[in-house]
Amino acid sequence: MSNEDSLPSRRTLSLRFNIAISKTKEFWAALREGKLITTKCTSCGKVTFPPQADCPNCMSSGHEWIDLGTDAVLVTFTNVQITPTSFVNHDPYIVGIGRLADGPNVLAWVEGATVEQLRPGDRLRLEARVSPEGNPYYVFVKN
Amino acid sequence: MRNVAIVGIGHSRFGKRSDVNVAELAFESIKQAIEDAKIDKKQIQNVTLGSAGGWYEESLPAVIINEYAGFENVGTMRVEAACASGSAAVRSAYLSVASGEADITLAIGVEKMTEVDTLTSVELMGRAGSYLWEFENYGMTFPAYYALYAVSHMNKFGTTEEDLARVAVKAHHYASLNPLAHFQKEITIEKALNSQVVAWPLKLYDACPISDGSAAVVLASEDVARKMTDTPIWIRGIGLSSDSANLSKRGEYLGLEATVQSSRRAYSLARTSPGDIDVATCHDCFTIAELMAYEDLGLCEKGQGAKLVREGQTEIGGKIAVNPDGGLKAKGHPIGATGVSMMVEISKQLRHEAGKRQAPIKNGIGLVHNVGGTGHYCYVTVLSRSL
Ligand SMILES: [Zn+2]
Repeated sequence: MSNEDSLPSRRTLSLRFNIAISKTKEFWAALREGKLITTKCTSCGKVTFPPQADCPNCMSSGHEWIDLGTDAVLVTFTNVQITPTSFVNHDPYIVGIGRLADGPNVLAWVEGATVEQLRPGDRLRLEARVSPEGNPYYVFVKN
Repeated sequence: MRNVAIVGIGHSRFGKRSDVNVAELAFESIKQAIEDAKIDKKQIQNVTLGSAGGWYEESLPAVIINEYAGFENVGTMRVEAACASGSAAVRSAYLSVASGEADITLAIGVEKMTEVDTLTSVELMGRAGSYLWEFENYGMTFPAYYALYAVSHMNKFGTTEEDLARVAVKAHHYASLNPLAHFQKEITIEKALNSQVVAWPLKLYDACPISDGSAAVVLASEDVARKMTDTPIWIRGIGLSSDSANLSKRGEYLGLEATVQSSRRAYSLARTSPGDIDVATCHDCFTIAELMAYEDLGLCEKGQGAKLVREGQTEIGGKIAVNPDGGLKAKGHPIGATGVSMMVEISKQLRHEAGKRQAPIKNGIGLVHNVGGTGHYCYVTVLSRSL
């Protein structure tokens, strides 16, 4: 369709990025097996989540993999009603930030409650999942 | 470092501008700014463009705009600091003059956001975080990031959805007095509260619109500025900071640390304090963002932002006029244009050229607060009528 004011371009651009995860592949492999792990710097002891191979504290690249833990407390949350193009077939989803008992915060979908039932301070459990397309991810479930 | 002044300002009409392409849109502001400065465009020694890009067809907008406006053999670049790209462009143009590299420079901000459909725009903004950990699996959106702050702020300080609606009503009121604003109509608290939820508890009227627009400023060194105009607006200090890309790495979700840090740096450079400021543009991409900005900029104590808007203290005639142009919320937020648009508004206010929305100017000091993303970047600029 065209009119005098605009020229809809005939050329479309579809982008799909291949994201490198070779330095954190242990995380994704463990997640696929239902386990949540993350990185700890072997020089200064800094625990990072999301996992990263290079320490943001002391810049050392030496790291070990530790259990992330699954017990968390809900810090804040929202319910996404207007979803982006690439989530257009999803129902609205609740996203929360949970503080793990062992330190780092995690952002993930929250299941097992409606937005009206949630309050900051609620106890959550972090669980591994695999999407229908076969991608591993993780969610919070309200206890 | 040399003193630097804004000596020319230009601003397009904001809104859905399907009548112009990105270069034509930028040209509107460039021409006004050059005419306002009463210079020949050949006197401009370099050009900096603030534009986030990705929403429109051109990949190299800086040279597209240079060519269209007839800047030949003039150095240029595009700078990106998300929604603070405009302030980042002004900073670059400022540093060029302050350092002595150039005597006259031009900063432009432009975005043409309505060339893609709305949900693609929602997608482009939602990806503006830590992509793999926030978007790929969880589909975060720009309102959703700010909703995380709103829930926390409401829970801790008792801020209500009605308080947020008050910010929207104020914004639409001032936009109705600004012929260049995207929205030209007043709204009521009821209308705001009954609008569609986009990311609970934020609703349609808590959010800025998706807009096209441009703005431009001509900067000059002190010697040159004093010969050019009787009303130079001095850039007294630009403070900048940043925060984590991934929101999960933040603390309590009650305010933006990047605003706290950048504003303290700006106050220190300008040797001023929040109590001296007559008029401010605060980055109100969402209503909650304006309330947090009051607190983080030090206009009130932490947790008192809602009280300030309830009492009308941030209206014209109150303690400090905030967003008399309608703000991002109702003037519109063409991403890269916003920071430059804020400089234009504060310059108009300090020159007493703001017409029906003129704020009282006592100390001759104005503030530009420009956030990029969800407090990912922040630039705070102090402007004044005299040195
Ligand atoms: Zn380390």
